[in-house]
Amino acid sequence: MGSTAGKNWTEEDEKLLLETIDKWVENEVKPIAREYDQEDKYPHELVESMKDLGLFGATISPEYGGMGLPASVYAKVIIKVASVWMAPSGIFNSHLIMASAIERCGTDEQKTNWLPKMASGEFRGGIALTEPNAGTDLQAILTRADRNEQGYLLNGTKMWITNSMYGNCLLVLAKTDLNAKPAHKGMSAFLCQKNEGYEVSKKLKKLGYRSIDSCELTLVDKQVSSDALLGGEEGRGLQQVLGGLELGRINVAARGAGIAEGALKMAVDYAQERETFGQPISQHQAVQLKLAKMATRVEASKLLVGSAANKFDSGERCDMEAGMAKYFASEAGVFCSQEAMRIFGGYSYSTEYEIERFYRDAMLMCIGEGTNELQQLIIAKQLLERNKG
Amino acid sequence: MEIIVPIRQVPDVALNIRVNEGKVVEDGVSFVISSWDETAIEGALQMTEELGGEVTLLGIGPERVSEALRKGLAMGAHKAIHVLYEEGQTDSFGYAKIMAKVMEGRNYDLILTGKQAQDTDAGLTASMLAEFLDLPQVTNIIRFSDLAVDGMTLYRKGDHGTEVIGIKLPAVVTVNDSLNEPRLASMRGIMMAKKKPMETLSPSDLGMGAEELGLQGSMTEVLKFEKPESRKEGERFEGDETETVPMAIQKLVSEAKLAV
Ligand SMILES: Cc1cc2nc3c(=O)[nH]c(=O)nc-3n(C[C@H](O)[C@H](O)[C@H](O)COP(=O)(O)OP(=O)(O)OC[C@H]3O[C@@H](n4cnc5c(N)ncnc54)[C@H](O)[C@@H]3O)c2cc1C
Repeated sequence: MGSTAGKNWTEEDEKLLLETIDKWVENEVKPIAREYDQEDKYPHELVESMKDLGLFGATISPEYGGMGLPASVYAKVIIKVASVWMAPSGIFNSHLIMASAIERCGTDEQKTNWLPKMASGEFRGGIALTEPNAGTDLQAILTRADRNEQGYLLNGTKMWITNSMYGNCLLVLAKTDLNAKPAHKGMSAFLCQKNEGYEVSKKLKKLGYRSIDSCELTLVDKQVSSDALLGGEEGRGLQQVLGGLELGRINVAARGAGIAEGALKMAVDYAQERETFGQPISQHQAVQLKLAKMATRVEASKLLVGSAANKFDSGERCDMEAGMAKYFASEAGVFCSQEAMRIFGGYSYSTEYEIERFYRDAMLMCIGEGTNELQQLIIAKQLLERNKG
Repeated sequence: MEIIVPIRQVPDVALNIRVNEGKVVEDGVSFVISSWDETAIEGALQMTEELGGEVTLLGIGPERVSEALRKGLAMGAHKAIHVLYEEGQTDSFGYAKIMAKVMEGRNYDLILTGKQAQDTDAGLTASMLAEFLDLPQVTNIIRFSDLAVDGMTLYRKGDHGTEVIGIKLPAVVTVNDSLNEPRLASMRGIMMAKKKPMETLSPSDLGMGAEELGLQGSMTEVLKFEKPESRKEGERFEGDETETVPMAIQKLVSEAKLAV
């Protein structure tokens, strides 16, 4: 992707698209957010409008029926959605990470079989890496894929897998060689249809990021054909998956920036409405200091996301920049939602206001797509590598 | 069914519009399709989706009008005509004349547009156009049914209720914004819009001379714009309603001279 995507998106197109997204978010996402989040209800109707808008094909190349959106524009779309309700962005975000793995690493046949259907939203997917005992340390996964005459037999358990219940396909990371050293050389990724390759055993109850289906999966003697092996070659699974993480991190960074921006907006509005000691609380300097810190972090997050995305679009290596954006913007989301909670005072705890949702949703951005601890290690590693003494 | 939808690009009313020395300041203003015209585009798309045929947009104005046309194309209209027009102030009569010229020799069954423009609220252009083209017209429709290439039933919001009107085509019809909820421009739509034909014409291509354009071609002139005075802050009465209501009434009688 990266280098070919986006050539056909002009500034005018971008403006039109963002205008569309603004309207969609305002008319369709915002009105249902509070109720759906509280009832942990899946927004099926948003899936339909996402199909109409083309979001499921946003970053897929036009040759496979996608929109070929550059990461820089895509990130702005995510920021807009997340500034109102972060959760629905996961419906197409995780899906597009799977699609990007197919586009980067799939065989020609896999691309033509999967991508057009993913672009239209007929196939809706995600990625299944994490297991009950392995998240950051993916080489420790236990799911195995044993080769047999019909292809591969999958066995294992996956945890926290987004889009697994209401979507219909996943990219599943498994071990094709349990004894390989280093372990990643024995890891492979499989394109699986629901029920054929995996079964959902439990929808997990969550603090935030509600409404979206994050589930536990069980794979018991699931037979998939050898066509399911991504790229048709064993032992490349971890690289294939990690290769998509630059974009994945930019996406999570954009969600963090969106949460931060949404929280700031609510705080700015509320601070001017609520009065104490005879004046709006926005006139108290202690509140102003909060607003200033929040606004600065929002601005900085958006700039970091934009610059990492531009680098990605130009085809340059951007793991450090994407890591920085992800680290900073997700922390900004947490910071701004917390500060907004303070500004809302007691009402922040009321489910009649929406700020508590931002507070609950923000933390996930620090954990998903590589924890922020890991991001810092990656940043430092890159920093030292690029500046060898 | 061939439908032509004249659309007008207007300043976005969601933003603060500034007036300086009697003129609207265009700097920093963003422009959008007048909302009734967007409703007309949606209506036309629904009609062609049912009956086949094409929707052609018509925009008159400076270069920036092409953005409005692109948006309409991204919503799904099939092609667009842009009359590149930099003449400045022109009234409904002037615009209707230009539109009538554009229509000459074109094939259409229906001209569908907003009942008025969001910026001028004049609501005259379509009626004048119908007059120039000698076509029947129905204004302010909120619904249509019995769609056919030679006619349809229209539901017009009149003063005394909904008027149900049969109309033969070709005709000029204007829409009320309760007709529909205009669709959003999808990403695919935006991508495809670039490939759709946009015909750019100048007034001279239409055989129009200076005497027919701008103020010369208009029958009225807007001398200046005045910003409406901002509303004064209201008065709040706090406390028990058995006290505050009489207080409010007292004020209305003594200050606003309300007769009780
Ligand atoms: C709502 C939700 C949705 C998710 N969706 C998906 C999905 O769709 N697909 C998927 O595959 N996964 C998904 N995940 C899983 C997520 O990616 C993992 O939770 C995350 O990668 C962290 O892994 P872990 O939970 O196993 O934590 P651990 O790996 O157990 O980490 C625990 C702590 O130890 C720290 N730590 C670990 N190793 C190191 C180290 N070497 N140095 C320093 N610190 C370290 C971590 O930073 C963290 O603070 C989701 C999780 C959630 C909560």
